[in-house]
Amino acid sequence: MNAIKSVLDFLLRWLCIALFAVLVLVVCWQVFTRQVLQDPATWTTTAAQYLFVWLALFGSAYVFADRGHIAVDFMVRLLKISHKRYTEAFVQFIILLFAVFVLIWGGLRGVDLTWTQQVSGLPVSVGAMYLALPISGVLTAFYALFHLVEALRGRGLPDEFDEEIREAI
Amino acid sequence: MDAALIAGIVLVLGIAVLLLLRVPIAIAVGFSAFVAVAAVIGMEKASFVAAQRMFTGINSFALLAIPFFILAGVLMNNGGIAGRLIDAAKVLVGRMPGSLAQTNVVANALFGSVSGAAVASAAAVGGVIGPRQAKEGYDKNFSAAVNIASAPSGMLIPPSNTLIVYSLVSSTSIATLFVAGYIPGILWALACMLIVFLYVRKRKELNNYQQVTLPVALLTLWRAVPSILMIVIVIGGILAGIFTPTESAVIAVVYCLILGFAYRAIKVRDLPRIVLDATVTTSIVMLLVGVSTIMAWVMAFSGIPAAISNGLLGLTDSPTIILILIMVILLIVGTFMDPTPAILIFVPIFLPIVTEFGVDPIHFGIMVTFNLCLGTITPPVGNVLFVGAKVAGLRAEPVIKALVPFFIALIAMLFVVAFVPQLSMWLPELLGLLAP
Amino acid sequence: GVSGNAQEGKTMVLSLNQSESHPSYIALTDFGERLKAATDGRWDIKVYPNETLGAQQEVIQLVSDGSVDMAIASGTQLENLNPEFATLNLPTVFKGIDHQISVLRDKGIVGPLFSSLEESKDLTVLGGLTQGDRNLYTVKGPIKEPKDLAGMKIRVQESELHIKMINAMGGAATPMSYGEVYTALQAGVLDGAENNEISYVTQKHNEVAKYVARTRHLVGLDYMLVNSTLLEEMTPEDRAILEAEWQKTVDEHVKLWNADTEKAIESAKASGTKFNDVDKAAFDKALAPVVESALTSDDARELYEKITEAAQ
Ligand code: NA
Ligand code: NA
Repeated sequence: MNAIKSVLDFLLRWLCIALFAVLVLVVCWQVFTRQVLQDPATWTTTAAQYLFVWLALFGSAYVFADRGHIAVDFMVRLLKISHKRYTEAFVQFIILLFAVFVLIWGGLRGVDLTWTQQVSGLPVSVGAMYLALPISGVLTAFYALFHLVEALRGRGLPDEFDEEIREAI
Repeated sequence: MDAALIAGIVLVLGIAVLLLLRVPIAIAVGFSAFVAVAAVIGMEKASFVAAQRMFTGINSFALLAIPFFILAGVLMNNGGIAGRLIDAAKVLVGRMPGSLAQTNVVANALFGSVSGAAVASAAAVGGVIGPRQAKEGYDKNFSAAVNIASAPSGMLIPPSNTLIVYSLVSSTSIATLFVAGYIPGILWALACMLIVFLYVRKRKELNNYQQVTLPVALLTLWRAVPSILMIVIVIGGILAGIFTPTESAVIAVVYCLILGFAYRAIKVRDLPRIVLDATVTTSIVMLLVGVSTIMAWVMAFSGIPAAISNGLLGLTDSPTIILILIMVILLIVGTFMDPTPAILIFVPIFLPIVTEFGVDPIHFGIMVTFNLCLGTITPPVGNVLFVGAKVAGLRAEPVIKALVPFFIALIAMLFVVAFVPQLSMWLPELLGLLAP
Repeated sequence: GVSGNAQEGKTMVLSLNQSESHPSYIALTDFGERLKAATDGRWDIKVYPNETLGAQQEVIQLVSDGSVDMAIASGTQLENLNPEFATLNLPTVFKGIDHQISVLRDKGIVGPLFSSLEESKDLTVLGGLTQGDRNLYTVKGPIKEPKDLAGMKIRVQESELHIKMINAMGGAATPMSYGEVYTALQAGVLDGAENNEISYVTQKHNEVAKYVARTRHLVGLDYMLVNSTLLEEMTPEDRAILEAEWQKTVDEHVKLWNADTEKAIESAKASGTKFNDVDKAAFDKALAPVVESALTSDDARELYEKITEAAQ
């Protein structure tokens, strides 16, 4: 599982970097065609928006790999360490449910419902764009499962509670 | 039971319980909202509603400004711009009593006027000025508090990602919000400068400053010109109608990239890491935006905003009291929630209420942002607070004590901003930006 | 979809993109009230204004899936689902609101089109609501014939057809989202835009563009979409009531629309707007190639001819 995760991390990282780079170029091209060529490209706005959705969804899956999404952790900090493996497993379980029900199931239904609907100005269908949801959902589900198993084994739990922050509370 | 009640209970209980168990905010909101939709229209339909709301919530050209401003900010942190801005701030306020502390405040405001990230500002500026202040005999906790308290001013001074998110949920113009943020943002910094002034008044040892000769001063300011020029290009470009806010953000990226290379602070091989940094920050914000769109849908579908609004209006019919109530609720929310999710969740509820009393949505946006930014410097959840303390190498508790006077001054300023609309509305009106 | 089991009734959710003061909202809430009274409270409609349930394109998907029961959608949105709808969106195809409404009620003309999405999308088009004659308005004017528009940047929706339309009329089509138009007109980024009189005034564009040329190049059209499965589940009696009340709604809407248009014109005139007539024949002639190039199939041409005949 660790090996799979490393490979996925690597691929996802470069996918995000590439998406971001293309996004910057597309919007630059939009400014250039409008301001310099005086002949605004009509496809750039739509293309940039979909690139951005893909970047956000895949980037979000990448952040799940690192458990980097912001959480409110002052309650758990007050719990005893021995409970933390179960609360962490629970957290990952909820992420898994969200990934399965919303990103994968809802995403696939979205792909199905919009598969024949054209994106105006681009040679793709809305359904093809919706594919980002189930794909990032599968990745997110994998990471959630990975961290769930790790947590139950008592490994990789969130950092020991910072003394300074407990005092602050 | 009616739909509003069921959905409301699921949302409130679901989000509260999941948050307390340390489920990431985005998942706590997204999962609870999905369950609430399912409770009203059934699971299968809810799955698509949730997926579609998320997808379309992110699919917006206005939101695209956010990743670009974030990327520009990361480039700036790597590009040696912070140092030049600090030097410029020193020239501007270096002769005031407590010069280093005042420099810190002004540098944060300057940094804020080129970037939208208070956390980055606290780290970049505090990291440089903190050690110098220690050398001159400032109390370490006080100097960290100065840095922390003044950093969020950059979230009001444009460009500001927080204001972009507000413009999205309120359907207001980004350009107008940006312009409206200037004076309140500067007032935020002035409130901090006032506390610094009161603090150093009786401490003669902190009144020393280095004499700067005119040529040195001019040279220092000159070195900061390229950084300041970015404000002219970005904000000026938006106001002149040359760029949309999104386009101006990508111009900021290109500009920072050029500056970074020109200052030899960025190498090509640093770029993937910089882009990845920006991706992570962007994705965290965007997932929140996406799931909040699911929640907004179920709330609208089941009539929750109307129910809350009726409840509030049932308590009192005094606009002043309702505005104060809303401000107090948001101050409490802000203590444990970041500005972005708080805006996404609470603005759709409160905005219709206050507009009924004739509060302008632009003015409301500024007071809400001011309010929620205060939360970034309070425990238990406060990014700027913890990053600022960490940069100074201090424990949070004594820093929080040193923050108290700043906090009081800023809350007072919040109510000034809330009840004197001209502070927010005068500049946009002057520039003719108050379009319908 | 699942059908066969008759449904007793429910409060149907109707999504609308307009605000509470718009003629469409008023006509549709009245529709719900009359329906409720006529079915002894079995069927009712709750109108959600201001796109709170989503933008049109997304809400159509929700109606198709059954999470939302009904929605008002523009012709452009339906064109994306079935290109045949494009003919009704063409400039100059309708001579005016009355012609448009009579065509929308003629099952012989639009019947097959309105049921064309039932099989594939579970969507039935109940009918249409007019969005009025559209005119050009400019910062500098008056505009009387196509050559007066030379070099002027005119805002259009992001639609291939509208871009072609404005270019054919002599201007330089500039796609832009509607919210940015006011400041763009003010800053001189745009020289003009085109819309109906009601939007021209509610968006306060009359403050910055003082010349309205009565080009009447297009009659705007919104459709009422209903989830087909839901319609099938209604008892025949209730469904007949629904259809009858809908026809009354269309009439009421036209009345409201005309009254609001009059009010908008009066208030625009009071604030200094100058309305002028144009060489309509010259504009129609300029637009003829745009119409011609859009009629790519035999079906489209047949539909177009039936519509034109109905005008006589
Ligand atoms: Na800023
Ligand atoms: Na806080």
